[in-house]
Parts: sequence; C-alpha cells; structure tokens
Amino acid sequence: MKRRTAHIVSVLLLSVSVVLFLNGGYIHAKAQLAQWLIATAWSQSTTNNVQAKPWPWADTWPVARLEVPKYKVDQYVLAGSTGESLAFGPGHIFFSAAPTEQGNTIIAAHRDTHFEFLQNVQKGDVIIIHNAKGKRRNYHVQDMTIVDKEDVTWLENNAYSHQLTLVTCYPFNAIQIGGRQRYVVRAVSQDDISV
Amino acid sequence: MNMSKNAGHQLQASLMSCLVYSWGIGFVISIALMSLVLISTNANAETHNETVLDKVISLSDIQSGQLVFRTEKGYFLAGPKLNTEVDVEVNGVLARVTVSQTFSNPTSQWQEGIYVFPLPDTAAVDHLRMKIGERIIEGDIKARKEAKKIYQQAKEEGKQASLIEQQRPNMFATSVANIAPNDSITVVIEYQQRVTLDANEFSLRFPMTITPRYIPRTSIANTEEISHFNGSGWAVNTDQVDDASHITPPVLAAESDISNRINISIMLSAGFDLDEVKSSYHQVEDVAVNSSTRKIRLVDDVPANRDFELVWSARNKQAPQAALFKQHKNNEDYAMLMLTPPNKLNIEGISRELVFIVDTSGSMDGTSMKQAKSALHYGLTQLRPQDSFNIIRFSDDVDSLFRQAKSASRHNLDTASDYVNWLHADGGTEMAPALEMALQAEHVTEGIRQVVFLTDGSVGNEDELFSIIEQDLGASRLFTVGIGSAPNSHFMNRAALFGRGSHSYIGSEDEVRQKMQTLFTKLSHPVLTDITLELDGDIVEVWPKIVPDLYLGEPLILTLKATTLPDDIVISGVYGNRVWKKKVTLQGGGQSEAVSVLWARRKISSLMDDYRRAAVDDEDLIKVDIVTVALAHHLVTKFTSLVAVDKTPVRPASEKLDSQAVAVNPPAGSVMTQFPQTATSATLQFIFGFILLLASLLLRWRQA
Repeated sequence: MKRRTAHIVSVLLLSVSVVLFLNGGYIHAKAQLAQWLIATAWSQSTTNNVQAKPWPWADTWPVARLEVPKYKVDQYVLAGSTGESLAFGPGHIFFSAAPTEQGNTIIAAHRDTHFEFLQNVQKGDVIIIHNAKGKRRNYHVQDMTIVDKEDVTWLENNAYSHQLTLVTCYPFNAIQIGGRQRYVVRAVSQDDISV
Repeated sequence: MNMSKNAGHQLQASLMSCLVYSWGIGFVISIALMSLVLISTNANAETHNETVLDKVISLSDIQSGQLVFRTEKGYFLAGPKLNTEVDVEVNGVLARVTVSQTFSNPTSQWQEGIYVFPLPDTAAVDHLRMKIGERIIEGDIKARKEAKKIYQQAKEEGKQASLIEQQRPNMFATSVANIAPNDSITVVIEYQQRVTLDANEFSLRFPMTITPRYIPRTSIANTEEISHFNGSGWAVNTDQVDDASHITPPVLAAESDISNRINISIMLSAGFDLDEVKSSYHQVEDVAVNSSTRKIRLVDDVPANRDFELVWSARNKQAPQAALFKQHKNNEDYAMLMLTPPNKLNIEGISRELVFIVDTSGSMDGTSMKQAKSALHYGLTQLRPQDSFNIIRFSDDVDSLFRQAKSASRHNLDTASDYVNWLHADGGTEMAPALEMALQAEHVTEGIRQVVFLTDGSVGNEDELFSIIEQDLGASRLFTVGIGSAPNSHFMNRAALFGRGSHSYIGSEDEVRQKMQTLFTKLSHPVLTDITLELDGDIVEVWPKIVPDLYLGEPLILTLKATTLPDDIVISGVYGNRVWKKKVTLQGGGQSEAVSVLWARRKISSLMDDYRRAAVDDEDLIKVDIVTVALAHHLVTKFTSLVAVDKTPVRPASEKLDSQAVAVNPPAGSVMTQFPQTATSATLQFIFGFILLLASLLLRWRQA
C-alpha cells in the first residue's frame, strides 16, 4: 500500500517537474520560434513597405534587424518594450531614436533569451542594425556598464551622435526575476560626426 | 472499501507531506539565492554610484549653456565657469550678434573644452574667430566631417584650434583644443537674426535656456496696398488698430550651480521714433542716442540661466506694417519682405469644424488615457456655439461620436462628454482608418477645419500614414498632441509638418490644461491660410516655397533671390471664407549685407524639412544642396561647420591633453522613469522542475 502511494507521489512529482520544464522550455521556444514568424513579417515589411504583423493578434511588429556576427546573433527587433513584445524578441524603446537614425537608439531584451550574448560582448565588437527601409549602420561597442534600473540618464536621447544602447537585466545568471540592476552596452557609429 | 478509503487517506497525507517537503526545499533555496542576489546588488550599486557621479553622461543633459571637458573615456566632466560677452546691433528688423566666449583653464593640465549653448532658431551663424593673446585667427567653413578632421588633426599635433558645430537648429557646440594650463582662449562667433514683430511690439531674444514657448498676440492693421518703402527699409506708415495683447508668463529655468556669467550690450537703431524700450527679465541701462537710436546694456553680469528679451515699440504705436531690405551680391539681387496680415477679420463670427481623434489602443492604458480624457474634456469646453465638432476613437477598429460633425450645442456637448467618459484603452493601433475618416469626411463648414490628434504615436507604418496625411489633407490642418510618458514624438512632429499644423506634448496630467490652452488659443486665431505668391521677372527663387498658415500675431516673411527683382509681388490667401489679396512693391527699401545670409538660412531650413521627410535615396541629394548653399554663404548647418586652426603647435608632445573634474552637474530627468523588465521566469521554473524531479527519483530509489 505504502509502495503504491509512494509510487503515485513520485509520478505526480515527476509530472509537475515535467510541466515546469515544459513551461520554462516554452518561454525559450517562444523566444526562438517567434523570430521565425517575425522573419516572414519582416520580409513583407521591407518588400511591400507596409507594417506587417508577425501574427494577426500581435500588438507589435518588426522595426529592425540586429546582427552581431562575432556571436552569430541575428535577431529581429520589435516595436516597443512591453513584457508582451519582449517575450518574442528584443524591443525598440519608442521614444528613443529610430534604428540607424541620429540619436540614441535603445533596444532591450531578456538576459536569458535574446540578450544572453551581451555578457560576452567586449569593447570594439561590431553590432549591425538594419532598418525596414534597408538602411544599415555599423556600431562599435564603446563600454559596458552596470546601472540601477531607475538610472534613466542612460536612456536619454543624445541627439549629437549615432548611438546604440542595448539593455538587459543583470546579473545574467540570477534566478530571481525583477532585480534592480541593468546591464547597459553602449555602441557608437564610426561615421558619427559630432563632438 | 475500508482499505481503499485508508489508502486514499494515506495517499492524501503522503502527497501533502511530499509537496510541503519539496516546496520547502525550493523555498529555502530560493531565499538563499535571493539573499545572494540582494548582496551582489548592493555591492554593485555602490561601485556604480562612484563612477556616475563625476561625469556628464551626455551633452543632452545640459539645460543651459555649459562648458565641459572631454575625457579619454568618452564622457565629459563639468568644466569651470565660462564668460560670455554678447554685442548686438539692431538695424530695423535685422540684428547682427557677436558672441565672445572665453574658455579659461584653471587646472595644471592642457585641456580641451566643449561648450554647448543655445542660439535663436533662426540664427544664421556665419563667422568664427579665435583670439589667442593679440592674434586673431579667422575660421573657415567646411563640410562637417572635413572640419572635424581638421580640428582633430590640429588637436593631436598640439595646435590650438576651435570648431563650431550645429547640434540642433537652436543648439550649437564650440570645441576648443589645447587650452594651456592656467590660460584662456577666446572664441568669437557672429550670427545674423531677424527681429520678432508681434502686434505693435518688436522683440529680440538671446536664449540662455532651452525651453520653447509660444506666445500668441494680436496683430496690427492692414491696408490694401503698400506702395512705397523709405530708405531705412520701412514701409511708409498707415493707420493702425490697437489691440490688447495677451502674453503668457515667461518660463523660468531652474537655478543651476554652474552659472556661466554673461554680459549683453545692444545698439538699437529702430528706424522709427522709439517709444518704450524694456528688458523683460533683466535690469538694463538705457541711453538715448537720438529719437530712434538707443544704447542698452545689462547693469551687471548675469548667470546664464534665463533668456534675455528686449522689447520695443514705436511712439504712438505708429510702427510700420511692412519692411523691405535688399542686397546686391555676386550679380544677384536678394530681398527680404516682412508683412503683417490683416486683422480686420472678426474671427468670432467665423465657424470652424474641429475633429478630435483619440487613440484608445492598449498602449494608452492607465495615465495616458486619463490625460487624453482630460484633454478632450478641456477641448470640448473651448467650442463656441457656431462651431461644429466630432470625436473619432480608434484601436484596432474605428468609430466616431457622430456620423458627421455636429454643432456644439449644449445637448451635443453633453453627449460628447458621456462618450469621452466611456472611452477605455484596449486592442491594437490601427491609425490609418481613423486618419482617413477624419480627413476624408465631408466638410460641414465653409470655414476652417482643424483635426486634433491625441496619441502616444506607437506605430510602425509611419510612411503610410504620412502619405495619407499628404494626400487627404485638403483644407484641413492636423495638430498632434503627444500623450503619455514616452510618446513617439518623431512621428508626431512629422505628422504635424505634413498636416501643416503643429505638435504639442503633454507629459503629465498637471500639464494638460496649460498645454491645451496654448494649443486652443492658436487654433481659435488662424488669420491667413493657403497663401500663394504671384511674381514676374527672371528666375526668382523664393523661400519658404510653401508659405505656412499665419496665426494671430505672426508676420509673413519672404526671402527672394533673382537676377533682377520684379517690380512687385502679389500675395493672396484665404481668411475665414474670404479671399485676401495684396500687391506689394519691391522698389526702394533699405540696403543690408544680411539679406543674402537670411535668404540662405531660410532656404536651408526648408531643405532640412525636406531632408527629414526624404526617402533614403533622396537624402544624399538634398544634403548636397544644403552643403552647397551653406558653403557659398559661409553658414554653419547640420552638415557644415566653421573651424579655425593656429599654425604653430603650443603643447609639447610630451604633455598629455588631459582633463580634471571641476564641478558636478547632475543630469536632468528623463521622460522614462525606469528600464524595462528584462528577465524571464524560465530559469526559476527549470530549477523547481529539477528539484521536483530529484524528489521523485529519491522516492523511487528508496522504494527499490
């Protein structure tokens, strides 16, 4: 009898653990798979010059493509940085400069999915951004800094240069979510012509 | 039966204990991890504070002119005080301004100083001189990249050099390389500017802070023809109508610790008998040279934290209503014509149609929606009985309050108020159908039609929307109002540009009233729309190409270039539902060296508008045009800079160009209050999954 109970309990524990694994896996799978759907929407946006949504009920759409050849990163950046859009891809913060345009372009993503590679990024690495019109700009990593989540001076729109700011949560391997720290990678375009 | 019941109890009990057991372990582990995370957070936060405090992170933090020293690490350090001398010569409606900035270096290292400062929107910067001791080095105009290169090279070779670049149309930056220890370098900048004419008042502003404001005022009278200009550039006077003016109170800048001192002196030659001359915010000394000329200077050096404004008017309010200045340069004629439109129009009697579009998409949820609602309620109170109005809301669908605009009767306003209260934010952002609905609707009045668009602008199909606005605009005018903490102002600025209206931004609920009031004062006083020009004569180039609508108090300003100027120009427009036409001679007028510069500046700002709207392929073509005009007229623009280099190196190669923190400038606040949340619960779920898996295996192993 006791054996039987123990057996049932172990099966139950096993199935709960499977559910948790699946759930965690789903977050990663969603992050990966959504990028495929977005890729289709992106090619529609660029060829037909329309705002194509990756799936009919989405409240976001791709605005840029982010490439970091050194780490084999090739991702589609979505409009806005709400929790909804960040589940599917890096998000471009609305009030920041448009991708490839003058000013500070800010892109945020989860530290354990799309922006996991940021922990390896080093000074001098090249980050390539394409906008929907096909314009491309190379940015060179200038510095990496750990900041508090309320230190938004890092988000200011520096109108004098072509700057790219990538933001993710810090520390990278933290288990707890909702931490106070952010990892900020700043990159500047070489053809920047101001002070 | 009994057995199975027992088994059931046992099963329940063991299941409970196992669950408690495994969650217990999970809880302990997560507490441990959390405290680890917290400890590391604190440690990092401390180091972070140390590094951030002594630097100016970005030049856009700077609210008034401030000197900073560049460091090798890419950030800036707040520099010591910088002294500025401003000399202004006013001749009629033209002003020549000379700004001398003295960069002093109190440190024992060689320094590079950068000074970011505001100038008027319309300033045409055309001269740079660097004073080192007794010597003066003239600056050259170059394409921006080239100028930067020349400056960089001189800097590295240890030569003293200065560079002036345009950051925004009203923001400039002077860089000075190799300022010797305990020494100083003076940089002199000259620019040309127009005097502002508003009703009977003339004013000149020297900005020290970067806070825009819009002041609507009433306008002066109109006659049907201007037939003669006298030698000082003024039209021979005509009768006037005196109107009360309403002025918004000045915006005061926050007191800054880093107060750069400034002194201003002005030689005012009005060209007519002066009545009162006053400085709006500063104490001045005023010496009369003759009836039309005054010498004015600030009593004391003042901190550069508040704009300087000088206001003057003609004796007995007999100021002319038009002015003409001309210049002959390189076998070409230039002219600048300034004209005040009619104000005889009784605006109160004219009906207008107002259409509100409100964004009720999911992104507007919360405070944004609240702000939009109070803005709408305010807008409704501003309607007069003869006006008609409608409200269109959209998210992923569109609907409107009325099928077509209705009169602003008590009953209709009450219905509208209920409609607004009922609005809630949900769904996607499909802006195009709403814009089409607003712009394509049948106009119910003959008069003016204004569309007020409230949104956070979170859209991606900007170009499609711009072309809708451009195609369907017709007689309507589009005014965008940005709502929420992080609106897409890039989109809204351009939408307003295409819509021939303006853009305003409401940052918090406290601002709703003030911002909407400014907008509605403007909306209710349009004077002249659809302005067109008729000109004969050979190859006349007029800027602006599309004359913007004039609102109450705004004069019409035209700049022309031709091989030979035509005898006269016919200006026509529409006010209310009537046609207004005026013939103005281009004979006579005053001579001024400033006219060609102002013409070029006006052309460049029109080209810059085109550049912002242009497709990628056309950008370069427009850029070439801008650079050509700028180089020909020696003007600083987004793509051209002035650079001056001394030939002899002064800094020994052995000494480094360095920097030292002198003062701290806390960065200004931002519209976004914190970074987004950027971690998922995946790892946490994996860990719990793993713990449960272990527990389950443990159980099986014990049984075996």
